[in-house]
Order: sequence, then structure tokens, then C-alpha cells
Amino acid sequence: MKNDTNSDSSKPKKRRRDEEIEAESSSSDQENLTFSDTLVALRIMRAQFPHIDKVSIRPFILQSQLYSSVNDRTQVDRELESLRRERVLRVFKLNTGQDDHAIMFLDDYLNQIECVVKRMEEKKQVNLEVFEWFQTHVLDSKLEPSVGHEELCSLLSIVGKVKDEHISLLINAGILTRQLIDPDMYWFAIPNIGSVLKGLSQGRKEIISFLNRRKYKEMMLALLEKKHLRFSPLDMRFHLRDLIGSGHLKTIHTPTGLVVQISKD
Amino acid sequence: MWKDIGGREAGQIRPNSFANRVKSHRLSTLQLSNYKDIVSPHKGSINSLQVDLTEERYLLSGASDSSVAVYDVQRATDYEGGGHIAKHRSVFVVDKQHEHGHKYAISSAIWYPVDTGLFVTGSYDHYVKVWDTNCTRVVMNFKMPGKVYRTAMSPLAASHMLIAAGTEDVQVRLCDIASGAISQTLSGHRDGIMTVEWSTSSEWILVTGGCDGAIRFWDIRRAGCFRVLDQSQSQLGRRPPLLKRKRPGYKFVRNGPLVASMMVSISKSLSAGQNSSVKPRAPQKRSANGNGVRQSSVGRIPAKGSVRQRLHPGMLSSQDRATAHYGAVTGLKVTEDGMYLLSAGSDSRIRLWDVESGRNTLVNFETVRLQTSKPIQLATTQDPAVVFVPCMTAVKAFDIWSGKTCLTFRGHYEHVNCCCFSSQDQELYTGGNDRQILVWCPSRLISDGVDAGPMQDQDNWSD
Repeated sequence: MKNDTNSDSSKPKKRRRDEEIEAESSSSDQENLTFSDTLVALRIMRAQFPHIDKVSIRPFILQSQLYSSVNDRTQVDRELESLRRERVLRVFKLNTGQDDHAIMFLDDYLNQIECVVKRMEEKKQVNLEVFEWFQTHVLDSKLEPSVGHEELCSLLSIVGKVKDEHISLLINAGILTRQLIDPDMYWFAIPNIGSVLKGLSQGRKEIISFLNRRKYKEMMLALLEKKHLRFSPLDMRFHLRDLIGSGHLKTIHTPTGLVVQISKD
Repeated sequence: MWKDIGGREAGQIRPNSFANRVKSHRLSTLQLSNYKDIVSPHKGSINSLQVDLTEERYLLSGASDSSVAVYDVQRATDYEGGGHIAKHRSVFVVDKQHEHGHKYAISSAIWYPVDTGLFVTGSYDHYVKVWDTNCTRVVMNFKMPGKVYRTAMSPLAASHMLIAAGTEDVQVRLCDIASGAISQTLSGHRDGIMTVEWSTSSEWILVTGGCDGAIRFWDIRRAGCFRVLDQSQSQLGRRPPLLKRKRPGYKFVRNGPLVASMMVSISKSLSAGQNSSVKPRAPQKRSANGNGVRQSSVGRIPAKGSVRQRLHPGMLSSQDRATAHYGAVTGLKVTEDGMYLLSAGSDSRIRLWDVESGRNTLVNFETVRLQTSKPIQLATTQDPAVVFVPCMTAVKAFDIWSGKTCLTFRGHYEHVNCCCFSSQDQELYTGGNDRQILVWCPSRLISDGVDAGPMQDQDNWSD
């Protein structure tokens, strides 16, 4: 299965067994994709992340997908918080719409940063030691999705002198971004994720407009899942989980199966 | 129900738990009332509703057409529908024609907490007025620098009569009825203030929520706020675990000098009651270190240049830019036991905070969208079990501890702005942009008050 070097307690073994049982029960029940545990849900969704051709990106999970997969949202929030504190995963705030957060396992994130650093080395960039400083000092001590300018400089300067070019390099690599909320704050971001996010918002709009054009604004889940999206590289299941979790769509149980409907209000 | 009464009679169930059982049973059957109606004379959307705190008998409403009305919710003015439907018309209405009335929309109308002889209104015409209820006259006028979003008076106040007013200006102003002047201003917010609430456990503590997303706790006897809520500071569950001592020097205040960070980390790791013991000597000791860091940093200097001036220790909290929501804070409610605070934000999230530790309890309330431009009024039941939140055109009742939706009240035609719960009668009053005040009551047994005689022979198809 996937590498379980995330948590170093004896929990991985128990979770792997749970996971297999869950995977079987959930795959047999193809429509009802609910899991009991957040970590189980995260791992299974990570395995189901669609493969995108042009961009090399490690799997990430949106927080709204977790809400649609686990019954109790408060439990999801609390388990995410404890996993974040144990440094198993990181949470990033995205700029696509309200309150969108992406979750990525820590080693996936470090791999992603490695790819970016390698590409920059090929282009003969200088000042690449800032990435190492970033990984050892900033990522380890700042578990929140954002970091202030002063703090970033002081954390990086523990090792060596930090200059303007270093921070510009981090921003160019896509590891830090600024958002409209606060001009003096940097937000952690996943590098190379830009086109995927564009696909995400376009795919959302496409599904919502498709369902809005139908007479009763609903469709059977089984039929909807087979549709192919034109504007998004991510697959339909990804988008459906995200939209159901964020409340734009709701599922209704009918005698013939699950029906997906646009939720009013 | 009868079993419970028998149990109470025999002494097996205590009086409080019996009362709570009846109340929660009635709460679970709340629906749009079919025997009680409030006739609203307003011609604009209703922005504020409040039932008086002493008797829970009079409902005060403030609307966008500058009108204020009071209704008696326990005695109907007349009956319709063969005596089955009680109509409650307003006891009096004050509108724009009143010589000293407000000129623009009224955003907040509250009763004087001690008795119903006075009420206070705040409006978009920059005035806060105090009215005498019996003569319907303006007794006092306070001019504010901007549109008034919310006014609040402390329900516990025994030694002060201050009205806290939150306006578009960044400062909270405390208006004193006893002297007729604005006695205090509290600064610290970086944008307008949308909601103001007094604490229900102390008459000196005020909580304010701003358009910058920050929630600040103020003790009005001291300068500056003593706590800023940060959404990333969280605890798992109701009871806070022992607060871990943070590594000193590593908890930084965003953009503030290191100075402020040491003080904030010291004060956050102590318990709330000991905040006043933070030593003012810490700034001087650490200033050298702070300047050293600044020289090696990128040529960007913090916007306020605050390193140069030495701030009063109480004002250092204005450097703290922690946010409780990713947008404006649009609604605040302190639970009646004073232990928890609910906040609603324009990022469509509702958060439950533990007041004593100042942390986010991470309860997730399933809201999709909340109104973002106007402040909304939340309501809670007395033993805080349920919170009522206006979500666009419906009002949803959430279980406070798990965040699940218990009930949804759909009845308004447009957005709902305010809701008020009367715990004595278990009735919910909601007001919205459709100019209606709706009453949601527990469902009544059919045999109550219905004349059973001539109706017995009829069935459902009879006229």
C-alpha cells in the first residue's frame, strides 16, 4: 500500500487493516462513499487522486471532500487538527472561493518541493539554499497556513543572512503566495498547482451550470459520475465530493439510488 | 410526558431537570405558529429584535425605515379566525415623522436592561438615541463619527450605565447615560466594528467583532484589549487541556516587534485571571534583540513604524493581527453561562470559542452561506443547547456541541436578519428583509382552547 512513514506509532498497522476492510466495504457499496475515520478517508482519497498529464503534482485533498465523506464534521475538524499537530499533513488555504482548504501529506509536499528545486537547479538559479532553510526551520515550526513577514525573516535568518532575493525566490517557486486578505502575510501554497486550481473552479462551474439547465435541477448519481468534464483535468468524482461537502449539491436517497440535486439556500 | 409528571410528583425527578425536559421537548416541536401572529407596521426590513430582559413580555423591533415598534407578546390586542388566532399589534410606533426620530435606517434597538422605561436605538444617521418608553420622547442623543452598526448595554451592570456602540469608525465608543457624554473610546480594531456584546459573566468585559475579522475582549477598566481571538489557536473539545507552555520567543505576533510577542506569549500562557501581572519591564529588555532582527530583514519596515515609539503596555495588543474569521465578523453571542462565545463571519463559518482559554473549539456548524453585508443577530437557549442562526432566507437551529442542524425554519420570503428566543415561553421571533416578524411556537395540542362542541360531527371535507 502507500508508504506509512507518516505516523511513527503503532497505529499504522491497525489502520492498514481497518483501511482494507473499509476499502472492501466501500468499494462494494459503490455509491455510498462514507468512511468512519478521517485518516482512512484521506488515504483512500489520495489513492483515488486523478492522474493529470501535463502537470506533475502530488495528490492533495480538499477539505470539503472530507466533509462529504465522513459523517461528523466536528470530528473531521478535530482529527485534522491533531494530525496537523503531529506533522502528518499540512493544510493550505486556497484562493478559489470562500474558505477552501487543501490538505496534503507532509512527505508528498516535501517531494513536490524537491521537484521544484531540481527544476530550478537545472535552470542554474542561485541562492537555492533558502529552500533548505525553509524546509528545516519554517515548515517545522509553523504549522498554520500562513506566516507573517517578520516571522518568516526571523525564522530563516537563524541559519544565515536572509535577503530580498531569497524571499522572491520562494514566491517564484510557488511555495509562498500573498492573498488579498492581509498585505503583510504570506500564505503557504503548493507549487505548480495553478492550472489545477483553474481547472477546479471551471469544473465546479460546469457541473453547477449543467445541473441548473436540467428541468428539475437534479440527476442520478450513477449517470452523473460517467460524464466527462470538458474544462477540468480532475475527474468527476473529485468534483462531486467537493461540491457535496461544501453544500452546493445535496444527495437524496431514492428507491432507484442516489440523486444529486442543486441545494436551494 | 405524563410519566414525567408522575415522576415529579413522586419526587423521583428533580424540579430543574423536569423543567428542562419539558423545555427541550417543546423546543423540538417549534414550528411556524398557527395561533399567534405579530402584525408589523414597518415599511422597511427589520434589523433588530429584542424581548425585554425583565419580564420577557415586550418585543422591541427596529427597521430600515427609521421606525421602532413595541409589541406585547403575551397579551393579544385582538383575535381573529373565530377566536383562534391571536393578533399582536404594536403598542406604539415611532417613525420618521417624530420630531426627534432617526432619519435613516435603524440598525439596532435594545431595551435598557434594568426595566422597560428606556430603550436605546442606533442608526445609520450617526446617532445613538435614548428614548423614554412611556412618553415616547428622546431623552438623550449621542453623535457618532460613522454609521452605527450595533449598540449594547450590559445586562449585569450594577455600577455603570454604559452603552457600547460599534460604528464604521475603528474605535468602540462607550456612551454614558448618567453623564450624557461619550465617556470612553477603545481602540485596537483596524476596520469598522460590526458587532458588540457585553459579557454575561462580568459587567466590565466587552466583546467586539470587527470588519477586519478580529474578535477582541476589552476590560473597560483598563486600556487596550486583553485578548484577541485567533482561529488557529484551537482546543479539541469542551474542557481545555492544560495549556502547554509555548517555547519562549517562538510565538510571534504578526508584524509586531518581538517585544509584543514576548508579552503576548507570556500573557497567553498564564491563565486569564493573571493577565494584569504581565511585567512592563519586558519591552525594555528585549528591544535590543528586536532591532537586531530588523536590520537583517528585507528593507520592508512595518507599516506603523511602531518600533521607534514605545507603546503603552496595554496598547500592544493593537499590534496583534490575529483574525477569528477570514472575513468580517457579522454576529456575536455570548452564552448565558458566560463560558462560550459564538461568532458568525462573512466567510460563512460559525465558530464556538471557549471564553476562558480563548481558543477555537473546532465545532463545525454546517452552514453553506451567511449574509455578509449586514450584521446578523444570533440567539441561544438558556442552558446553551441550541443556537439559532439566520442563514439567508431560513433560520437554522444547530446543536451547539456537535454542530449538526436540528431544525430549519423556512417561512420568510427574503433574507432573515435577526432572531430572538424567549426562554420563558420557548418562542422564537425572527425578522427579515420582507418586513415581517414571524413567531415560531411549540405546537399546541388541538384540544387547547378549541370549542369542541359544534365541530365534532364534521370531518375533513366539511366547510
